[in-house]
Amino acid sequence: MSSKSLNQPRKESDLYDAKKWYSAILARPEVGPVGVMLLLFGMLGYFSIPAGDFSLNPFSGEGFNALAIRNNLRVISQLGIVAIGAGLLIISGEFDLSIGSMIGFAGGVMAMILRWGFAVVIPYVSFEGGLHIETFTLFKITDVSPLLAICITLCFTLFFGWLQGFIIVKTGLASFIVTLGGLFFLRGLTEVCYRAFNKKPDQTAGSTTVTEIPDIKNIVNIPGHGELERDVAKNLPQEQLLELLKTVPEATVLKLTEKLTYINEKVAASKTLLLKSKGVKGLEKALENAIASGNEGMVATLQDKIANFKIDPATAKIVTDVDIAKAYIDTLHSARPVANFFGGDIMEPLFDWLYFTVDWNVNNYGNQFADGLYSCLMIWFLLALICYVLLSQTQAGNWIYSTGGNLNAAKANGVPTNKVKISLFMFSAFCATMFAACQVFETNTADTAKGNLKELEAIAAAVIGGVVLTGGFGTVVGIIVGAAIFGIAKEAFFYIPGVDGSFYRVFLGIVLLASALTNENIRKRVIGSV
Amino acid sequence: MIDKKPLIEINKLVRKFGSFTALNGVSLNVYPGEVHALLGDNGAGKSTLIKVLSGIHSATDGIIKVDGEEVHFNSPREASDAGIGTVYQDLALNALTSVTRNFFLGREIKKGPGAFGIMQMNEMNEITIREMKKIGISIANPEQPVGTMSGGQRQTLAIARAIYFGAKILILDEPTSSLGQKQQMEVLKTVKRVKNLGNIAIILITHNEIHARLVADRFTFLSLGEVIGSGLSSELGGDDVKRLMAGGADIGDLAKELENVT
Repeated sequence: MSSKSLNQPRKESDLYDAKKWYSAILARPEVGPVGVMLLLFGMLGYFSIPAGDFSLNPFSGEGFNALAIRNNLRVISQLGIVAIGAGLLIISGEFDLSIGSMIGFAGGVMAMILRWGFAVVIPYVSFEGGLHIETFTLFKITDVSPLLAICITLCFTLFFGWLQGFIIVKTGLASFIVTLGGLFFLRGLTEVCYRAFNKKPDQTAGSTTVTEIPDIKNIVNIPGHGELERDVAKNLPQEQLLELLKTVPEATVLKLTEKLTYINEKVAASKTLLLKSKGVKGLEKALENAIASGNEGMVATLQDKIANFKIDPATAKIVTDVDIAKAYIDTLHSARPVANFFGGDIMEPLFDWLYFTVDWNVNNYGNQFADGLYSCLMIWFLLALICYVLLSQTQAGNWIYSTGGNLNAAKANGVPTNKVKISLFMFSAFCATMFAACQVFETNTADTAKGNLKELEAIAAAVIGGVVLTGGFGTVVGIIVGAAIFGIAKEAFFYIPGVDGSFYRVFLGIVLLASALTNENIRKRVIGSV
Repeated sequence: MIDKKPLIEINKLVRKFGSFTALNGVSLNVYPGEVHALLGDNGAGKSTLIKVLSGIHSATDGIIKVDGEEVHFNSPREASDAGIGTVYQDLALNALTSVTRNFFLGREIKKGPGAFGIMQMNEMNEITIREMKKIGISIANPEQPVGTMSGGQRQTLAIARAIYFGAKILILDEPTSSLGQKQQMEVLKTVKRVKNLGNIAIILITHNEIHARLVADRFTFLSLGEVIGSGLSSELGGDDVKRLMAGGADIGDLAKELENVT
C-alpha cells in the first residue's frame, strides 16, 4: 500500500485523472468534422494553385474563383438545408429516407401549381349515359402567386411528414421501413402526376418534367409597360427603351454610364491580351520547329519577333443609350419578392465591389464572373440559425435530445415524445420543401428525378457532422460542417489535376466511416464508459 | 412520533389483473420524516403497489389518502401533482445530456412561447447545484454529462429532482441494487438526509434487509399480495426480519427444505 493511501483514503474521484484542458474540446461532437473540413480546405487550396506557379496565397488557384465559390456554396447550402432536417430527426432517434422523394414531390407540386394553377376536383359516379366517373371542380385558381404556391405545397408535404411520423409513433414500426415506403410512394406519385398533367392531346404519355414556367423571380415593374420579365423588357424596341431611359434620374444614368465604360474597357483589355497570347503562341511554335531543325537564322528572327510582338489594342465599345437602358432594367428590383427570396441572388453589392473595385471577380473575357451568391445560402443560414437556438437553448431542444437519448426517461418526465417525433418528421418535410422551392424558383423547371439520393446524402452529412445514428447526440454546428465537408469534397476533387472526379465518393465513404467511429468514441467518452 | 398524522394512508388496497390478484387488501401508513421499508420476495406485490401509488395502474378496490384526502390517480401526472414522486430503478435519466438538463427535464424554466421558450440555463444551474447540495452531493460542474457521474450520484440527482418538483412522498424503487458497496452507502446517506429534512415520507423498496435496518423506521413485509408483518424498527428483532423477508417461513424450515434436496 502506498503512503498516500495510508494518509488519505482513496476517493472515487481519484480513479479519474484530472481532466486536461483539451479533453473538454475533444468531447465535443464537432471536433472530427472541423478537422476534416480544414483538411479539405488545405487540399482544395493546395491543388488549385495553377501548375508551375508558386504562390504564398494558397487560395489563388482556379478552385477559388468567384464562379466556383458561387456554385460550390449552392451545392453545400442545398444539402445543408435538408441535412438540418435529417440531423434533428436523427438526434431524436428516428430517421427519414423519404427526403429525396419529398424534394421531387414538392418541386413537382410547386411547378405544376405555378404552371397550371390549383384546383380542388371532386370525382363522383354518374349514371347518366352509362356508368362512368364525372368530376366536379370545387374551385380553381389560375395564376397562383409564388407565396401561395409554396403554402399549398407545404400543406401536402407537411401532411405526408405528419402521416409518416404518426404511423411510426402509433404502430412502433421502425422509421427505416415506414420512410422507405414513403420514398417509393412519393417518387411514384410524383411521376404519375407529371405524366397525367403533361398528357398530350393525342393521349401519348406525357413527359416527366415541367418547363415553360415564367422566370418569376425576374419579373420587374417597367414604368409605362407594367410587369415584364427582365429579358423581355431588355428586348423591347429601341424607341421604347430610349423612352424608358427618360424616366431615369440623371445621377443613375451617370453612374450606369461610368460602370458600363469600365466594363467595356475591361473587355477590350482582355481581348487585347487574348489576341496577343494567341499571336505569340503561333510564333513560339515556329520557334520550336526552328530550334529542332537547327536553323539559327530563323531562330534569331523569331526570337526578335516574339520580343517585339505588338498588336493594336482592341478599342472599347462605346456606351450607347440603349445599353444604359438595359443596364437600368438589370438594376430594378424584382416585383416578386418571394420568388426572388428563394431563387434569386444575394450579396450582389459585394460581388460588384469585387469586380469594380477589387478587380478580382473577372473572367477571361473581362466580364464579371459571378453576380452574387444563390439565395439558398441565405435560407440555409436562416434555418441553421433558428435550429441552432432551438436545439441548444430552448425547451424543445432539451426534449429532442432526451427523446433520442433515453426515450423512457423522457416519457417518465412528461416529455411529449410522440409530439416531438411527429413535429420533426414534419420539419424534415419542411426542409425538403424549402430545398425544392429554391430549385424551382432558381431554374424555373422541375422534373421527377430532382432530389434523387438526397436523403442518403443528408444522413451522411449529418453523420459526418457528428450526429450519432442511435440518437441523442449531435449539434447543429456539426451538421453545418458536415454539409460543408460533403459539398467541398464534391468540388475539390474536380480541381485536382489528373484525378478522376468520382474519387470524391471514395473519399466520402472513408470519411463517413471514420466519422461514425469517431462519433461513437466521443459518445462513449461522454457517457463515461471510456 | 405517535401523534404524527400519516402523510399517506393506504387502506385495504386491491388490484386485480383479470383473474390474477396482485394485491389482496394491503394497508400501510407512512409518516413524514420517516423511512418506511417495504420488503418482500419477488412476486410479493411490491412493484404493483408502487405502480398503483404512482398512477401507472389504478386500484381495483381500497382507499388511498394523501394528507387525509382521498385520491384516485388516472395517470402518473396526477400522482406527481398530488406529491408522490417515484424514483425508478432506471432513474429516468438521459446519460448524454448535462446534470441541469436532466434535473429540469420536462419542467424547464424558460422564457418565451411554449416549447420554443429559451431555457434560463444560469438559473437552472444554480438551482441544480443548490438542491443537490441539500441532500449531500456537491457537483462542481452542472454542465457535465450525467454519463460521467457515479451510480450513487445519479440516484441522488433523481431524488433531488423528485423533491424539488414537490414530492412529499418519495418512493424509492430498489435504490441500492446494481450499485457497488461504496455507492450503496452514498445512497443510504442521501436517504438519511432526505429523512432529516423532516417533511418528506419515504417508501423504500428493497431486497436488502441490512440496508433497510440501517435507515428504516418502519417495516412492512409483503408476501403474495398481502401484508404478513409490520412494525417499528425498534420492535422487530433480526430473526423476525429474516423470517418475514423469506415470506413468513422460518429459517429452520428453509434449512429442512434444503436438506431434502438430493
